[in-house]
Amino acid sequence: MADITLTVNGATRTGSPEARRTLADFLRDDLNLTGTHVGCEHGVCGACTVIVDGRAVRSCLMLAVQAAGSEVTTIEGLAPDGGLGTLQQAMWDSHSFQCGFCTPGFLMQATAFLSEYPDADEQQIREALSGNICRCTGYQSIIDGVLLAAQRNRTLGSRELSEGAT
Amino acid sequence: MTAIAAERYTGASIKRSEDPRILTGAGRYVDDIKLPGMLHAAFVRSPMAHARVLCVDVSAAQELPGVVAVLTGADLDAMTVPAPDPLLALIGGDGPTPEFTLLATDKVRLVGDPVAIVIAESRYLAEDGCELVEVDYDDLPPVMTADFALDPSSPPLFANLGDNISRPHSRKEFGEVASTFANADRIMDFHIDVHRHQNVPMEGRGCVASYDADLGLMTVYAATQSVHITRNGVATRLGMEPDKVRVLAGDIGGSFGLKIGASREEQAVAAASRHLGRPVKWVEDRAENLTVSGQAREESFDVQAAISNDGDLLGLDVKMVIDTGAYPGMGTMVPSIIEGMLPGPYKLAALGFESTGVITNKATYVAYRGPWASETFIRERILDLIAKDLGLDPVEIRLRNVAPRTDPPTMMITGRPLAGTTTKESLQRVAELVDLPAFRRRQAAAREQGRYLGIGVATFIEAAPGPRSEGPGGALGMESMRLRLEQDGIVALFTGQMPHGQSHQTTLAQIAADEFGVPFEQVRVVVGDSDVVPFGLTGGSRSATMTGGVTLHGTRQLKAKVLDFAAHLMEVSAQDLVISDGNVWVRGDPASAITVSEVAGRAAAGQFGAGVDADLEVEATFDGGQGGWSGGTHCAIVDVDAETGLVKVERYVAVEDCGALINPAVVEGQIRGGIAQGIGAVLLERSAYSEDGSFQSATFMDYLMPTACDVPRIEIEHLETVPLDADVNFRGVGEGGMIVAPPTVVNAIEDALSPFGVRIYEQHLPPARILELIAAADPGHSRAER
Repeated sequence: MADITLTVNGATRTGSPEARRTLADFLRDDLNLTGTHVGCEHGVCGACTVIVDGRAVRSCLMLAVQAAGSEVTTIEGLAPDGGLGTLQQAMWDSHSFQCGFCTPGFLMQATAFLSEYPDADEQQIREALSGNICRCTGYQSIIDGVLLAAQRNRTLGSRELSEGAT
Repeated sequence: MTAIAAERYTGASIKRSEDPRILTGAGRYVDDIKLPGMLHAAFVRSPMAHARVLCVDVSAAQELPGVVAVLTGADLDAMTVPAPDPLLALIGGDGPTPEFTLLATDKVRLVGDPVAIVIAESRYLAEDGCELVEVDYDDLPPVMTADFALDPSSPPLFANLGDNISRPHSRKEFGEVASTFANADRIMDFHIDVHRHQNVPMEGRGCVASYDADLGLMTVYAATQSVHITRNGVATRLGMEPDKVRVLAGDIGGSFGLKIGASREEQAVAAASRHLGRPVKWVEDRAENLTVSGQAREESFDVQAAISNDGDLLGLDVKMVIDTGAYPGMGTMVPSIIEGMLPGPYKLAALGFESTGVITNKATYVAYRGPWASETFIRERILDLIAKDLGLDPVEIRLRNVAPRTDPPTMMITGRPLAGTTTKESLQRVAELVDLPAFRRRQAAAREQGRYLGIGVATFIEAAPGPRSEGPGGALGMESMRLRLEQDGIVALFTGQMPHGQSHQTTLAQIAADEFGVPFEQVRVVVGDSDVVPFGLTGGSRSATMTGGVTLHGTRQLKAKVLDFAAHLMEVSAQDLVISDGNVWVRGDPASAITVSEVAGRAAAGQFGAGVDADLEVEATFDGGQGGWSGGTHCAIVDVDAETGLVKVERYVAVEDCGALINPAVVEGQIRGGIAQGIGAVLLERSAYSEDGSFQSATFMDYLMPTACDVPRIEIEHLETVPLDADVNFRGVGEGGMIVAPPTVVNAIEDALSPFGVRIYEQHLPPARILELIAAADPGHSRAER
């Protein structure tokens, strides 16, 4: 057991996980943040993806103790006001998901990717999300959601720019 | 007062009401359930494919701090009663009944067979406990192929059977088989294999069982396609009355046929909870899911086709062997469905069909999205092989053989009417969309540059639910729904559907909102509680017609009842009342409007005299009406790299007919998802065993699933079927993509490789196999020569 302190979705959290406890289990069971899903426990399917210090991370492959001092964002932290963020809204508008189990991983992976590559095209988005498996949709609706979110972000950004200029 | 809404929800891509919770992490899946005092289970599983269990030593595990109990197969056998698989119990399996215990006692029959269950304070500790359980095994020869299973000398997996036959050989003939073959211009023979692959929902199986000893009640939180079939499975195995078992289900992370009823593990978890008097959770990990949750297909077919020189498919004679795996499951039923569906939408006038099911030391056969899909695979595959032999175009040979839409309808030789099918139209439309002549020119030009493009077409029909026919419909031939106008004005639909991605909470609300005349948001679809909802099953692409239909008719019944009551309140005749946009008013007098909520509130609160029915609830049933077929034609264009064997699906077009669409975005999601699984089945996925029976694809590094880079943008066009029913012409669409995509892609690959003379008689075509096919077809065509 080791005492750890980390920031999760903007709030300081502490815990004493066993050294072997995964970050995914720590988030889900110790912090009751069950929005993060565990799909394969060997780092392939991406369902458990969270953002740690700005990078998309497989929380099934990271130990909780390794996250000490880090800033972690989970799906519960994507839209802190209880509404939907731009990406979530675009996913809803695009009928992106079906069963919803892979959803947290796609949202977190796409969030991290778009923050770095806001102008990504379809092929780049497909490659960036190719480490996340969805069994229901055939991906097209997810890709469409990410493209829509990127486009809305750009529109929003240019509007803010032009409003700032006037 | 709002104007009468001219627009309908039904037919529009209404945004899903499931999504706000799913997109914010607020969905509730079975692994999210946490109960006070809950324990965690893990299973000790066999590393051997086939062995006698000599001794199970649990003493070290029991001493591990945090381990609460270790129960062996013998322990569980003593606390449960023998029970059939609950799905088989419901719809009846074919073949003998093997005897076996809930967990293995005398022997293990596949890698992963559960031998003991360890219950501990955490999953970590339960798995530690499993490591400490020592099991002595005595090897038996594994039965890993159908050929060996058919050999009477193979060691029987089940002592009471004496052989490894799960479905005894049978033969049936439809039409004049012998004379058709005797008089045919040509007879062609094919041996076609379909490989073993599997559902792989992103959420595996799992449950939390919680027994209340004081009340004698078992509550099971389940991931299931039917809370009632799960309830039946648990109750029967535990020797409890079904009404003492309550099954609850929340969000479910996919299934595709896997999660019907209650698995042996889930029954064992329930037994453990009753034994310990504490809640017990078990959620399988991915290795368990891939190894033992269940697998599908693995069928082989000897096909003989009688054809005319012009390309008429006159008769088929098919010998099928299906590997149903270790334990009884749906596999023994599959040949009968394949037999019935083999003629497809074609004029085929003679069919001989024989089948045998075999037991092997592999995972049990489970339903997987279109369990009978191989009928389409072999038919659409041989049509291309025949076309090549006769020099016909693939679209041409199909159009030549399609049964015309007549009145009365052409009967399939196996008995069902081909009513309202639009196969011809979908074939013609696909050919237009891809511009076949233009493609052939592009293909020829590409070949000159050493690029191998191919086009593949395949067509199918699916009984979703199938046209109305005589005879009893069985347990699933009827759909029930309870509908109630709640006192706050919500129209509540209580359905036995158990959605796991199908969006029923949206689609059924669309239908009810239109029929009742309330906003979509005023309809609530209640699922997932065996004490509250009527019996049902989400599966077999049945819900669009069956549940859509009972929603439509049930809402009309509820509305009539509400209008009768409102007529009493408003002192008018019910015939003069209308409901629209959540308001009830006298026709022609908008000022008279009161809200549906007010009507409901008055009914809940008021005292009324005799003759006034203020109980605003109805029970409705629906038998499918006139039913009908789903179907369509798909087309793939592939680019095969003859150097590496890699196949890229460049374009994919689907012209689909599922009748009237409830929600086009939902329909298209189902189609694309099925196609993705079909592409995966051909190019990537295989549940692989070694000769000694060890399982070789227990991780996602070995069982490859299609990713966003493997599935192309899929173009979909809808044909509206010829309406057969006065009211309900929605058809199921859940399985079609997975049924027809495999032959579509394989046909395209064969077309691409036609310069090599490749002929394909199998479904799984990973790069290594493509290279083998090229090498085998043209041994002189080596890398060096190119």
